[in-house]
Amino acid sequence: MTLLQLTSLRKNYGSVAALDGVALSVPAGSRTAIVGPSGCGKTTLLRLVAGFDEPDGGTISFDGQVLADGTFQMPAHKRGIGIVAQDGCLFPHLTVSQNIGFGMEAGRAVKEARAAELMDMVGLDRAMLSRKPDQLSGGQQQRVALARALARKPRLMLLDEPFSALDTGLRAATRKAVTEVLTAAGITTLLVTHDQGEALAFADQVAVMRAGRFAQVGSPRDVYSRPVDATTATFLGEAIVLPATIGEGRADSPLGLLDVDDVAYRGRAAIMLRPEQISVTREGRGGVGEGAVGTIAEITFCGPTCDVRITLPDASSFRLDIPSREAFSAGDEIRIGVSGAAHVFR
Amino acid sequence: MRTSSLAGVAPALSILAFSVIALSSPASAQVTDSITIYNAQHEGLTKEWAQAFTEETGIAVTIRQGSDLEIGNQIVQEGANSPADVFLTENSPAMALVDGKGLFEPVDKATLDQVPDGFKPGNGHWVGVAARSTVFAYDKRKLNESTLPKSMLDLARPEWKGRWTASPSGADFQAIVGALLQLKGEEATAAWLRGMKENATPIRGNSTAMKAVNAGQFEGALIYHYYYFGDQAKTGENSNNVLLHYFKNQDPGAFVSISGGGVLASSKHKEQAQAFLKWVTGKGGQKVLRDGTSYEYAIGKGEASNKALVPLAELQAPKVEPATLNNAKVTDMMTAAGLL
Amino acid sequence: MSQESSHGVSAPRKDPIARKDLLALDLCGEHGDDGGGGLHFVHDATRVGSAMTSATDTMVSASPRHRLPTASSWTLMIAVLVAVLALMPLGFVLWATVVTGWETAIQLIFRGRVGDLLINTVLLILLTLPVCAALAVALAWATERTDIPGARFWSWMAVAPLTVPAFVHSYAWIGLWPGLNGLGAGVAVSVVAYFPFMYLPVSAAFRLLDPALEDQAASLGLAPFAVFRRVVLPQLRLALCGGALLIGLHLLAEYGLFAMIRFDTFTTAIIDQFQSTYNGVAAYMLALVLVLCCFVLLGLEAALRGRSRYARLGSGVARRAKVARLGAWKYPLLILPLVTAAFSLGIPALTLGRWLIAGGAGIWRMEEIGLALWQTLAICLVGGLTTTAAAVPIAWLSVRRPTRASRFLEGCYYLASSMPGVVVALALVTITVRAILPLYQTVATIVLAYVVMFLPRALVSLRASIAQVPVELEQAAASLGRSPGNALWSTTVRLAAPGAAAGVALSSLGIMNELTATQMLAPNGTRTLAMAFWALTSEIDYAGAAPYALLMVVFSMPLTWLLHHQSKKIAGR
Repeated sequence: MTLLQLTSLRKNYGSVAALDGVALSVPAGSRTAIVGPSGCGKTTLLRLVAGFDEPDGGTISFDGQVLADGTFQMPAHKRGIGIVAQDGCLFPHLTVSQNIGFGMEAGRAVKEARAAELMDMVGLDRAMLSRKPDQLSGGQQQRVALARALARKPRLMLLDEPFSALDTGLRAATRKAVTEVLTAAGITTLLVTHDQGEALAFADQVAVMRAGRFAQVGSPRDVYSRPVDATTATFLGEAIVLPATIGEGRADSPLGLLDVDDVAYRGRAAIMLRPEQISVTREGRGGVGEGAVGTIAEITFCGPTCDVRITLPDASSFRLDIPSREAFSAGDEIRIGVSGAAHVFR
Repeated sequence: MRTSSLAGVAPALSILAFSVIALSSPASAQVTDSITIYNAQHEGLTKEWAQAFTEETGIAVTIRQGSDLEIGNQIVQEGANSPADVFLTENSPAMALVDGKGLFEPVDKATLDQVPDGFKPGNGHWVGVAARSTVFAYDKRKLNESTLPKSMLDLARPEWKGRWTASPSGADFQAIVGALLQLKGEEATAAWLRGMKENATPIRGNSTAMKAVNAGQFEGALIYHYYYFGDQAKTGENSNNVLLHYFKNQDPGAFVSISGGGVLASSKHKEQAQAFLKWVTGKGGQKVLRDGTSYEYAIGKGEASNKALVPLAELQAPKVEPATLNNAKVTDMMTAAGLL
Repeated sequence: MSQESSHGVSAPRKDPIARKDLLALDLCGEHGDDGGGGLHFVHDATRVGSAMTSATDTMVSASPRHRLPTASSWTLMIAVLVAVLALMPLGFVLWATVVTGWETAIQLIFRGRVGDLLINTVLLILLTLPVCAALAVALAWATERTDIPGARFWSWMAVAPLTVPAFVHSYAWIGLWPGLNGLGAGVAVSVVAYFPFMYLPVSAAFRLLDPALEDQAASLGLAPFAVFRRVVLPQLRLALCGGALLIGLHLLAEYGLFAMIRFDTFTTAIIDQFQSTYNGVAAYMLALVLVLCCFVLLGLEAALRGRSRYARLGSGVARRAKVARLGAWKYPLLILPLVTAAFSLGIPALTLGRWLIAGGAGIWRMEEIGLALWQTLAICLVGGLTTTAAAVPIAWLSVRRPTRASRFLEGCYYLASSMPGVVVALALVTITVRAILPLYQTVATIVLAYVVMFLPRALVSLRASIAQVPVELEQAAASLGRSPGNALWSTTVRLAAPGAAAGVALSSLGIMNELTATQMLAPNGTRTLAMAFWALTSEIDYAGAAPYALLMVVFSMPLTWLLHHQSKKIAGR
C-alpha cells in the first residue's frame, strides 16, 4: 500500500528548476532514501513534502489525501508529518524535556512521562531531560530531535541529512540506532542524504536524484549493481567502465571474455564492473590462469589497501584499490580475475 | 612576547593624548580687560546690558547663565576661588545668601547714590538694578473683579483647590514665599504652603504658567508682571486671554522683588566690575529697562519705567527688607511641604 | 562522547562581531566574551555583580608579581584609572549619603514628595516599556518578515526618530497640543522618542533567527500564531530585555522631555533642587533614590534575561527567513508604520516647520546660532575623541588580553554609564568645586562626564574593529622587519581606525543631544545647541528655538544612519 505519492512535482526558484517533474511512491512501512549530490533538489523535495514550501506543479498525496497540488496547499502544522533536520533544530530556549513535549497536546505530567519514555527509546539518559540543547553533543541533539518528532506519532518521518553533521564514527552508530527505533515504531521514513553508503545501508528503496530529476529508483542492491548509466554508477560507488562487444550473454572486453547480466543484448556497449568483482594475482606464479594480463603502472601504499593504476595490453587503464598484503611494485605483471557478471549500459 | 608587550604602549599613548586634550581647557582662559558675570537675570536683558556696556567701555563680558539660588549657592561653594566678577539676580534672596557669607565687595558709593533707599540693602554690599511686581495673572473669561482673590493668602483656602498654578521651583516664586515669611512669620507661611500644595498645580517656568492660564487650563497664576507685557509686546498669543490683578494694599501678594547686582570680593577685575554696576544702575542701564523688551521696573533715581507698566509708586507694596530674605529657610519649608 | 561534544555546538560562534551587541551603542552593552550567540544586546549585570565580589583577588592576580610592569600592565593600569574616574559619581552619591547622616537621610528620603516621584517613575516605566515592546516587535516583524511595500524604507523610518532629541519630541507635541501634561503625555512622548532603541535589537534578532526552527515548530503541529508565540517571541527575549533596560535607563535619566510636559520624575526634581540650592542635601538624597532605581532596573533585567543564551545550534549558515505574504493585508498593515512615523516623525516635522515659517528670517540670529553650532561641534569632537581614546585601553585588553580583570573593568564602565547625567554632573560639580578646583568649570570636567556617560558606545565599535584584526597580522609585520610599535601602527591601528571613527561619531551623537549634564557642567560662556534650545523654550520662545532643534536634527542624521548601519553589520546582513 502506498502511503506517500508524488506525481510530476515541479518547483522553480527564479529561472532555476529545483525539481523538474519528480514522481515517487513510498510504500507504507518502508524506508526510502533520496540520494544525490548537493544542489540536486533533494532538500527542496523534502520541504515540499513537509509543507514548508509550495510546489509549482504536480501533486503530493499522503494516505489518499491531497496535501498539495499547485493550487491547494495544506499547511505544515496540519500534515502530521515528522521531520528531523540536519542539525536537529532543537529550540535553544527550551530544555530537552520541553523540546520533546513541544508538539504534544497533553498535560504537563503526561508530557514529561512520555518524554522520559522517548528518551529511553532513542537511547538517551533521562537525566538529560532538564538540560538545554547547547549542553548536548551533536549526536545527542539528533536523538532528541528524533524523540521530539516521534512524540507526535507521525505516520511519515522525514530525515533531512540528519547524520551529516556528525563525526564519522558516530554517524554509523546514530544511523543504526535511528533505523532501529523507526523500524520498531513501524514508521514510514523518507531519508535525504548525499552519502550513497548511508542511503544504501538505510533504505529498502533508493531514489538517485540528479538535477531535479530521479535518475533511478529501486532497491539498494538493484541501483548499485544495475545503475542506469555511468554517472549513476560512479555516484553510487567506484566503478570500472569498459567498452565491449556483447553477444550470447558474454562480452568481449579488454579484460577478456566476461559474463554479462543482459543476455538479450547484442552489439557494442559500455559495461561496468564493481571493484569488488576483481581480483589480481602476480603473473607467472599460478601457471596459466584465466583472465587478462595487465601491468601495474603506478602504486601508492595507503595502509590496508594500495591504490594502483593498471594498464591493459590495449593501452587502456583503470584504477583499483587492492589489498596491500601482496607487495606489488610498479612494473609488475599481474593477472586480472573477474567474478560475477558485468553490467551492460544499454 | 616582545611584540605584544610593546603593543600595549599604544593604548597608553592614547590616554596621554586624552589627558592633554582634556586639560587644555580653552574656556577658562580670560582676557585682562574682561569680566565674568554670573547671571540669574533674564538672559536677554543681561545680554542687552552687556552689549551696550562693552560698546561704551571696551570691557568684554562673559556670561554664565543659571537661576538665582543655583548660582548663589554655587558662588558660596566656590568661595575665594570663584571665577565670577559680578553676580546679577532676579530677586534679592540669592544676594542675601552670598552677602551672608561675606563674599561681596562693598559697592562704590557713586553707584549706591544712583539708587534710592529701599532698593538697596543698608550695608551697601550689593545694589538693586531692577524690580518686578507680584501679580495674579488670571483668565479674563473666568474671573472678574468680584471673583478675584482679595489677598494672596486667599489662594490657600479650599475654594481655590485646583484653580491656580505657579512655578514653585523658580527663584521668583521662592522670593515671594520669602517675603511672606518675613511679613507673616513661619507658622502662617507653612500653613499657606500646605494649602498651596493642596490647591495649586505646579508648573515649571512662569511664562509656561501664564501660557497655561491663557490656554484655559487654570484660572490664574501667581507670577511676576513682566511676562505678560513681554508677551503682549510680541504676538500676545500666550496672554491675550489674560489680565493682571495687582493685590496692592501692602498684601504679601503685592510684594515687589528687587533684582540685585554685586561685585565679588574674590574678583580680580574689581574696577571693571564696579564700572559695570555703575553703568547698569545709571542712565544707560536704566534706559535699557525703560526702552527694551524686558518690561522690568527701572529703579534708578529719577528714572521712569516703561510707559506700559503700572507705575511703581502705585503698587502699594508691603515693606520688605531685601537683605534678610532667607531663601534656605524657604526651600527647606517648601521641601517639607512637598513642593520641591 | 567527548569527541562529538565540540562539534555540534561550536560552529556558529566564529564571528567575533556577531555576538557584540547593538544597543551597547547607546548606554550599555554585552561585555563578556562569553562565546554566546548573536542576540546579546545588553550588558551582563549578573556578571558585574559576581565580578564585583571577587574584585580584589582579580586585581591582584591580574598584575604580574615581583616583576617590572610591562606595557600591557600599564594599559591595565590606565584602564583601572578610567574605571575609577567613571565610578566616581556613584561613589560620590554613596559618600554623600553617609556624610548626610542617617537621620537627615531618612527624613529626606521617606517623604511624600519622594513617594509621588516614585509612583510617577514606576508608572512611567511600567506603561512605556510594554507599549514600546509591542510596537517594536510589530514593526520589526512587518519590516523584516513580511512583503509589506517599502520594507526597507519603513525600517529606516523606525530608526529615524532617534535623530530627534527626546526634548525636541515633547517640544513638538506641546506645539500641537499646548495643554499636554502628566503621565499619559509622558508615556506617549517617551514611546515615540525611545521605541527605536527596542526596534533596533529586535529587528536584528529577527534577522539572526534561524527560520528552520519555525519550520520545525510547524511540523510539530503549531499554527502560525502559535509558532510566533512559542518559538519566535521567546528568542526575542534577550533583545527585548536589552532594549527595555536601555529605555528604562533613559526614562530615569531624561530631564527635558518631562520638564516640558510637566511630568515630575526624580531627574526633574533633582534639577529643581539644584536650581534652588545648587548641590543641597535634598538633591543628593533624590540622586540616591534615582541610583537605586537604576540598580533595580539592572537587577530586574539580569533576572529576566537569566543565564541562558540562545545561540543557533548546529553548523552551517542559517537560511534567510521566509517572507510572509500578506496578500489582502498588505495595505491595511501599512497603517502601522504610517501611524508610527506620523507620531514620531510627522509631529516634530510639522511643529518645527510651523515655527520655522512663523518665525521667518528673524529667528535666524546667525551670530548666536553660529557660535552655538561651533561650540557644539567642538565639544562633540573633543568629547567624542576623548571618549574613544579612553575606551582604547579596555577595548585592546578585552580583545587581546581577556581576563577576569578586564571583564570586571568593562562591567564598571557599563555600570557607570547607566548613571543618569544629572547624577554624574551633580557629583562632578561637587567634587571639583570642593576638592579639585583647577578642574572646576573646565572642558576637562565636562569631557569627563561625557566619558563616563558614553564610553560604552565607543567601546563597542572599537572592540569589534580590533577583534577583526588578527594579531597574526602584527606578528607578520614584525617578521617582515617592522619594529613592534611600527608593526602595531601599520596593522591593528590602521585597520581598527574605522571602528574608532564610528566610536567617535556615536559618542558625539550622545553629546550633541545631552542637556542635563551639559547645563550643569558647561564652562563659562559655553552654549551648546541643546542649551540654547532649552533656554529659549523656557521663555516660551518656541519659534526662536526652532533653528536650534533643526540643526540638532540635521547633525544627528548621519550619526543615526551610522548607528543603523552598524547594527545591520553586527547582525551580519
